[in-house]
Amino acid sequence: MLVSFAWRNIWRQPVRTVLSLVGLALSSLLLVFMLSLQYGAYDAMKVGALGLLDGFGQFQPEGYTDDPDVSRLLPNWETLVDSARQDGVVIATPRAGSFAIMASGDISFGAAVMGVDPVTEPAVSSLPATIIEGRYLVEGDAAVIVMGEGLVRNLGLSVGDSVTMLGTGNGGAVAANVLELVGIFKTGVSQLDRQITQMPLAQFQEDYNLGDSVNVVAMRGLDFNAVAAAAPALAQLAQEEGAVYLRWDELLPEVKQMIDLDNSILLLMYGVMISVVVFILLNTLYMSVLERTREFGGLMAIGMRPAQIGAMVWLELIFLALLGVGMGSALGVGLTLWIAQVGINFPGIEELFRQWGITGEVFPVLSWFSATAGPGIIALSIIVLGLIPYRHIKGLAPVKAMGAA
Amino acid sequence: MPNLTRRHLLAATASAMVLPNMALAQDPQAILRAAFDNWRASSSHTVAEMTVRNATGTNTLTMESWTEGRDKALVRFIAPARDAGNATLQSGRRTYVFNPKLNQVIQLPASAMSQSWMGSDFSYNDLTKTEQLVNDYTHTLLETRRQNGRTVYVIESMPKRGKPIVWGKQIIHVRDDYVLLRQEFYDQSGNLVRSMVAERVRNLGGRPYPAEIKMSSAATPGQWTRIVTRSAEFNSALPSYLFTRSNLQNPR
Repeated sequence: MLVSFAWRNIWRQPVRTVLSLVGLALSSLLLVFMLSLQYGAYDAMKVGALGLLDGFGQFQPEGYTDDPDVSRLLPNWETLVDSARQDGVVIATPRAGSFAIMASGDISFGAAVMGVDPVTEPAVSSLPATIIEGRYLVEGDAAVIVMGEGLVRNLGLSVGDSVTMLGTGNGGAVAANVLELVGIFKTGVSQLDRQITQMPLAQFQEDYNLGDSVNVVAMRGLDFNAVAAAAPALAQLAQEEGAVYLRWDELLPEVKQMIDLDNSILLLMYGVMISVVVFILLNTLYMSVLERTREFGGLMAIGMRPAQIGAMVWLELIFLALLGVGMGSALGVGLTLWIAQVGINFPGIEELFRQWGITGEVFPVLSWFSATAGPGIIALSIIVLGLIPYRHIKGLAPVKAMGAA
Repeated sequence: MPNLTRRHLLAATASAMVLPNMALAQDPQAILRAAFDNWRASSSHTVAEMTVRNATGTNTLTMESWTEGRDKALVRFIAPARDAGNATLQSGRRTYVFNPKLNQVIQLPASAMSQSWMGSDFSYNDLTKTEQLVNDYTHTLLETRRQNGRTVYVIESMPKRGKPIVWGKQIIHVRDDYVLLRQEFYDQSGNLVRSMVAERVRNLGGRPYPAEIKMSSAATPGQWTRIVTRSAEFNSALPSYLFTRSNLQNPR
């Protein structure tokens, strides 16, 4: 009976009820969509930033991160590559790297030289796909190199030109060669475009006196989170072979920090939004309770107990909250699912996004968390704080209440 | 300023005569200046062996070097066959390297100056930064101690404000006959990064000379670079073509 009373009561003031519902629904919709979009953007950031060059994880010799010297060699790298593939990480690629001077005529610049496997590298890194002129490395290449667009411009080169490489190889030997520039890439990350060069691994091993050794193994999987979840197994594997495994947040800690910072700011914002919505709604309802004091007095006079009336008003609140939040969530889920199909563009800030590895559209990712967290907190807050009017009504005395204005 | 000029003059005279001078004892900058002048003189020609011990093993190279004044130096490697022919030329602020395999001279970019020189614990900067140490640092005489019957000056050198210097400070030990005994490099937080020690001082080319020096980094214990000077000749007239790019590429 209380339920039907409550349901009837909320529709006695249709305009007020509809306005409250719209407020609740809109904020729930916004929360569902924003949270989904936010996590979608984070996923895009991780995949984009790590997929560009570093990979989702790496095997490295101990101490390599602090001192990436070409003479720090990865033990048993072939075993590591094979085992990692079996462990569900889709592909792994060996790399070697050093610092070298790149010279053309009288101009010279320092650059990072990577020796990469032309066959497996494009499966791990998206850098090969950013070639804007010439071509990427192919199997059978020897004394050739691809360079970032910024470095090429600094050196005044064009595709087909020769460039002199001078560095220090394993054991202190001079590493020198003249290489043909076969391709220019432009990742959009200016730091990489100014500093990175890649040459075939076999040629690198010869020039830098490495034999068959490499410095790191970079990995990538179809599913970023699957690779992240495999971290303990990969670390165990690395340990068995005398190497270390670096997770994505150890490879690019700035991406993790950026995500954490952004997440904290947005959560704070959602918190403020939820508080505003909840308190405005409670204020409205409390006012309506106050103006219904006479009515409650009458109900008590004909035998209804204050606790029953309180429960009825509380039920009204619950109905309102669940209805608004439910509609909002449904709409939010619908909107998110739709945008997840078509993607969403942010014209004007592509440059900023590209520095963080996001290119083109962002696709929101709907999860149980993003669909329920925001609306759930709104509904729960209203239901809990709805005990305030309930307490007020419980304290009413019939005669006094009937005399209220 | 006149005071400073007089001190410089004194320093120059003192170094020319290789005589301890009590007036210098008060001026750490003059002591350092005298030490570097003793090391390189107005010109020098030395043959030395450089032994590099790193994680992969030990490697010895033989090199012949010439210096003139304070900013010209040429180092040419003559053995072993693998490294023979590689050469480094410093002329003023510029540093060039020659590689025989490429048969090409490359001017080093500023970003490469901190890289290892021929795989050793020395960087290209070490070849060129002696003038910077004298001029771009503020020097304090920390202590004058007796060591093996001689006086040794311990000088603390702090980089002057605004100078592009990577070190937080340097501590330099100079013997009273202006032989550099020890040079320690510290980072910005005051931790020792690496140190160069004269392990043996002997008479070479008519002057006391740090004939065996060892450079080692604190981060890589057990790894070091030792330079043993076999022969040295000072203040002889060097041909003017010596410190040119063309001579670097095609030695006469």
